[in-house]
Amino acid sequence: MATETAEFEKQSTWAGGRSPFNVSYGKLMMWIFLLSDAFTFSSLLVAYGAIRFSKGGDWPMPDMVFNHFPFLHGIHLPLMFVSLMTLILIISSVTMVLAVEAGHRNDKSGVIKYMLITIVFGSMFLGCQAWEWSNFIGDGASLSQNNFKLTEIGAAKAEALTLGNHYHWEDADRTFGQPPFSALFFMVTGFHGFHVLSGVVILLIVFINVMFGTYERRGHYEMVEKVGLYWHFVDLVWVFVFTFFYLI
Amino acid sequence: MSHSVDNNSNEYIPETYVPHAESHGTKGIWKTFWILLGLTIIDVVFYFTIPPNMIRNSIFIVLGIVKAYFIVGDFMHMKHERSYLVACIILPVLFILGLVMGLMQEGYMLSTY
Repeated sequence: MATETAEFEKQSTWAGGRSPFNVSYGKLMMWIFLLSDAFTFSSLLVAYGAIRFSKGGDWPMPDMVFNHFPFLHGIHLPLMFVSLMTLILIISSVTMVLAVEAGHRNDKSGVIKYMLITIVFGSMFLGCQAWEWSNFIGDGASLSQNNFKLTEIGAAKAEALTLGNHYHWEDADRTFGQPPFSALFFMVTGFHGFHVLSGVVILLIVFINVMFGTYERRGHYEMVEKVGLYWHFVDLVWVFVFTFFYLI
Repeated sequence: MSHSVDNNSNEYIPETYVPHAESHGTKGIWKTFWILLGLTIIDVVFYFTIPPNMIRNSIFIVLGIVKAYFIVGDFMHMKHERSYLVACIILPVLFILGLVMGLMQEGYMLSTY
């Protein structure tokens, strides 16, 4: 009898009258949107890999380009600022999932608290991104050119450079390098940054709705879950941007 | 417009159906946070201790995939979803691997001009 019931359950998953995925319509659509977005970001990152490969090693070394830190001018600190950005985004992801958890308990004040922290950290990340961009542009990068050759010369310099040393650019470093380096940097981090920006806007809208008690009246905080999915996806993309642009 | 919150309701309206959500507590969330933080610290340590080579790059990519597993599995709740949904979302992503291999080969061929 029990097996018959199980068999019936299995058949009726797709027989109608119930949700085969056991998720709401909106959440399923969010997942499918995120899948399509994953394809978009993958194509950008794969293009980055292919173009970098096609230059056969003639490529600027990231730790000679992104080695600035706010308030510490002229000190060689590669990867430090971008690690801080990664930390900020991971923290915002945790507070987002804590907001979702509070929503499951219908704890309105908990949702408000954690969503606010998420919005603050998301905005902090955007500020960091703006600082990074302005620095890169200030060093002479644009969509069609980049000032960092820094392959062989840079490698010799890097041997002499240790973490925290003062460093001054010399003319030899500033000959034109591969233009796709800066073009791809602006395209990929710009695309990601725009996702963060729209994520913060959507978070703000949902946050205002939570404050006005829209979801309390509705009886569930599913909207917080949906915007949470989007926010985690932004974090997920950053993991790969961090890996491919800064680490490798 | 009424939103169905009663999971036991016999009437299933696809557009408004919302399954009952349960809290799994905050313990697991913090555990995942420490794992992600630890993996990122390992990334940074390897970056400064291992000279750039193919092995180091592979380690970074593997660590990135491990981080992705924890973000999608725990934060995005994928571990607790129905296997149908997991298959629908995860399997298409595997096609990207084919794209990566194809375009890496293409890039390498372009470099030999």
